[in-house]
Amino acid sequence: MGLLALGTPLDWPEAKQNANQVREWGIQQLLAIWNRAKGKERDALLWGDEVEYLVVTYSESEPIVKLSLRQADILTALAEDQELAKNGGCVPALQDIAVNKGTPLPVFHPEFGRFMLEATPGKPWGIGLKDLLDVEPNMKWRRKIIKEHMHADEFPITLTTYPRLGCPGEFTIPYYPPSGEKLRSQFVPDEIANPHIRFPTLAANIRARRGRKVQVNVPIFKDENTPWPWKDPTVNYDLHNWPEDDDVRNGASPDNFIHMDAMAFGMGSCCLQITFQAKNVTEGRRMYDQLSPLAPILLALTAATPIYKGFLADTDVRWNQISRAVDDRTAEELGEKPLEHDRWRIPKSRYASNSTYISEDPRLRKEYLDPDLVIDQDIKQKLMNGGMDDRLATHFAHLFIRDPIVVFNEDLQELDLTKTDHFENLQSTNWQHLRFKPPPADSDIGWRVEFRPMEIQITDFENAAFSVFIVLITRAILSFDLNFYIPIAKVTENMETAHNRDAVLDQKFYFRKNPFPVRVPRPYSSNGAQSGTNTPAMSRPPTPSGPIEDEYMLMSIDEIMNGSSDESGNEFPGLIPLVESYLDSVNVDVMTRCELATYLDLIRKRANGTLWTAAKWIRHYVAGHADYKKDSVVNDQINHDLIGEVLKIGNGDLKGVRDVEKMLGGLQGCK
Amino acid sequence: MTGGPSIIRKPGADRSNLELTNSLRSNFLAAQQDYSPPQATTPKSMTNGDFKETSGEDQLSSRPQVSIWTTRDGSDYYIPTIDWSLSGLAEEPSQYEITVKLFYLPGTAVNDRAQYTKDAVELVLKELGVSSIDLLIVSFPGMSFEGDCEWEADKKNSEQGNDKEEVATWPALEELYKQGIVKKLGLAEFGSEKLNRFLTKVQVRPQVDQINVKDCCNVPPPLVQLAKKENIELLTHNDCTDILPSGTLRELLGQGVRGAGVLSESKRGLHGMKGDIKPNWVAKYTAVVKDRGVVENKGYFAVAELKE
Repeated sequence: MGLLALGTPLDWPEAKQNANQVREWGIQQLLAIWNRAKGKERDALLWGDEVEYLVVTYSESEPIVKLSLRQADILTALAEDQELAKNGGCVPALQDIAVNKGTPLPVFHPEFGRFMLEATPGKPWGIGLKDLLDVEPNMKWRRKIIKEHMHADEFPITLTTYPRLGCPGEFTIPYYPPSGEKLRSQFVPDEIANPHIRFPTLAANIRARRGRKVQVNVPIFKDENTPWPWKDPTVNYDLHNWPEDDDVRNGASPDNFIHMDAMAFGMGSCCLQITFQAKNVTEGRRMYDQLSPLAPILLALTAATPIYKGFLADTDVRWNQISRAVDDRTAEELGEKPLEHDRWRIPKSRYASNSTYISEDPRLRKEYLDPDLVIDQDIKQKLMNGGMDDRLATHFAHLFIRDPIVVFNEDLQELDLTKTDHFENLQSTNWQHLRFKPPPADSDIGWRVEFRPMEIQITDFENAAFSVFIVLITRAILSFDLNFYIPIAKVTENMETAHNRDAVLDQKFYFRKNPFPVRVPRPYSSNGAQSGTNTPAMSRPPTPSGPIEDEYMLMSIDEIMNGSSDESGNEFPGLIPLVESYLDSVNVDVMTRCELATYLDLIRKRANGTLWTAAKWIRHYVAGHADYKKDSVVNDQINHDLIGEVLKIGNGDLKGVRDVEKMLGGLQGCK
Repeated sequence: MTGGPSIIRKPGADRSNLELTNSLRSNFLAAQQDYSPPQATTPKSMTNGDFKETSGEDQLSSRPQVSIWTTRDGSDYYIPTIDWSLSGLAEEPSQYEITVKLFYLPGTAVNDRAQYTKDAVELVLKELGVSSIDLLIVSFPGMSFEGDCEWEADKKNSEQGNDKEEVATWPALEELYKQGIVKKLGLAEFGSEKLNRFLTKVQVRPQVDQINVKDCCNVPPPLVQLAKKENIELLTHNDCTDILPSGTLRELLGQGVRGAGVLSESKRGLHGMKGDIKPNWVAKYTAVVKDRGVVENKGYFAVAELKE
């Protein structure tokens, strides 16, 4: 989550009144960053991973697993640990972090859910290939440190969502009743969110702006004994505590969907995010664009979210649920009412797949862009007047169609151009599948790109494998000048496709057929640029021609990851072979290559179906449980046993865990 | 002969020289297109740098004259013409890790290797616009790491190659090292026994042994131990030792549909060269931006001798 500034947050109607000022100041701060940092050059590749955890209480004998809401206590315990403090400290929210010699401690952060924690490495990773092998032990170290600062029956687990979040009865410890003033949820209490004022305000103002509660509806998985049509049996139609309790009486909970009604159902999900520093703004923009079409593929490959609110869902990933959980669009913006008070219809939630490309790459054809992209023309003009180019100005003018949600009164007194708070206010509440991050104020950090689609995996071996893969594919993209552009609308379509149950094996995705660069003719030859240019580097590849539809096709994830088979007649090289080509082109020692091969092997086998995704393993686990009645219900006992197995797997204890070899194979990561 | 970066790697194509041959072939084609008069080429029939399949006759008639896209400098032919003005790296040389791997091809005389080494390094220095390289790895003919298990591979390896010739070649590399042109020397495909013998006979020790093992998790333990003890880094690669057999080269340069039309095979050859062609060496070079891990420049030089 972003900065946790303190102050007096404005309630929605008042925040709305100040939206223009926040946007205006945000734009001025953005221009200040732009003009300060647009020439920033030659930054090294530094990157970081973020792992998020759920905290559960579990014991073999206690039949009900609960979410522990002790986030603040655990962080305090970490901050107060004398030994850790001596080594520099590890909770920046509570203490100053010292940079000591040697391997710095991992760093722990609060998250939206009060049952969540986030951990990152103590300093960013470099590109030394041997460094890549430090990622997994570091992740294991984080898990160990967290556990050491919990109660004996508390555990960090890396499931994307808690399977029984929002079920009737008690699922948190301590228990709080639902239907609180901030969330007004039927299912979860206000205390489910981090109590820092920013978070309840975020949830309350999203609800207020929207004019009703958020609606997070996930299709139910129809099993043999699932009643049909299926009506969510946990919905209470007779609640009259808040005006929003009318939502379900007005059709918020349609048949055959699991109905959820609060931000916590989305923002309480755990993800695996990777952030890269680019060499300069140009490379950052290029990375952003090239990673964009890979996102749906990695979302489907990491699928781990088959259960919501105690029911098996018919989808495998978390993405759209988070999207709906923070969807603050009004009825007018959604197109349900004619536009009267609002400025435009907006096709996507503020948490959604990317809607535009941002690079000035000559390979980016205008046909790839969305002609109907909603932007604030006025803001775009201001950015361009301030020296930003059209394409990047378009990107930010698109992000800035949103209102700031949390506005602190204290911040409205004076514009400080050395800060970035107003810009970040909008930037960090636009949750797209990639985020383009300008250099922060007062720091030497460069332009960065955050890759956000991946689902957290149960083991650190898997989390390290996917993190390292993403790092390596970025190196291959830059080294081989790869081109993955397809129309942005197809990327959006792919993100939807990735939600389907077992999309990794059953679905096809739009992907570019030929990722290789088009050759640049020699500038001084008969066919090269002959305009008397004296800077050969300036010569542009020939303008691509031909219909864009010929550039891409539907491919399976196996083909995208492992390459086209000989029989297919296609020639896509495959992302994993491209990474291997990259590794063949650089000096790698045998041990490193061996470890990296294990990571690539995991991903290769997930893509070709040899190994199961976590989503598939969880489904099979539930289906094979003695308590499961083929009615889509994941009851407390199943949940208890599932969490027990997840704990064992997370600790590397695979013995006796049913079907675990089908998810992990005999693969072993770095010790 | 030069070849630019090529990244074609078919899944499962182990230890293939496909990368080299593709690289050379596409560079030849590119030069033919670039240097031909525009009307003689049909760029519209190109898709992403590849010619569409055309019949052999068409290919022959549309193929530009060899003299247009190659250069003769005394007794040396450059195929294709190298435009040195396009050479060089984007950033300061200190930003890069530059590696050259030199393949001495089978059937060449040991006495010539000193010259080959000098030529190869000089060409790379010129191409990259630098005065030194970080690592020079040499690959001797007849060496491999083959076998059903890696122990067996290590055993077999000790009988391969020719110790005497390999040791006799080394002073040329030591010289480059002493001059500061090469900062580290390396070998390829040396198993534990061969490496042990080699170490006792050289002045400047190799700091790298580059090996190709089927399953890199099964590096032969004796080799691992030796490398550790002698402080030699074991690196991986995916090249084949006989990287450019003369048959392959003849096909690349010949008059066939996939050839460059440089080499005459019959009386039909118009401007082509005639005679036996014998590949001498191949040098593969890479320049990697150190703190970003980006391969900025990668390519090949290959030199062959024509006996007219």
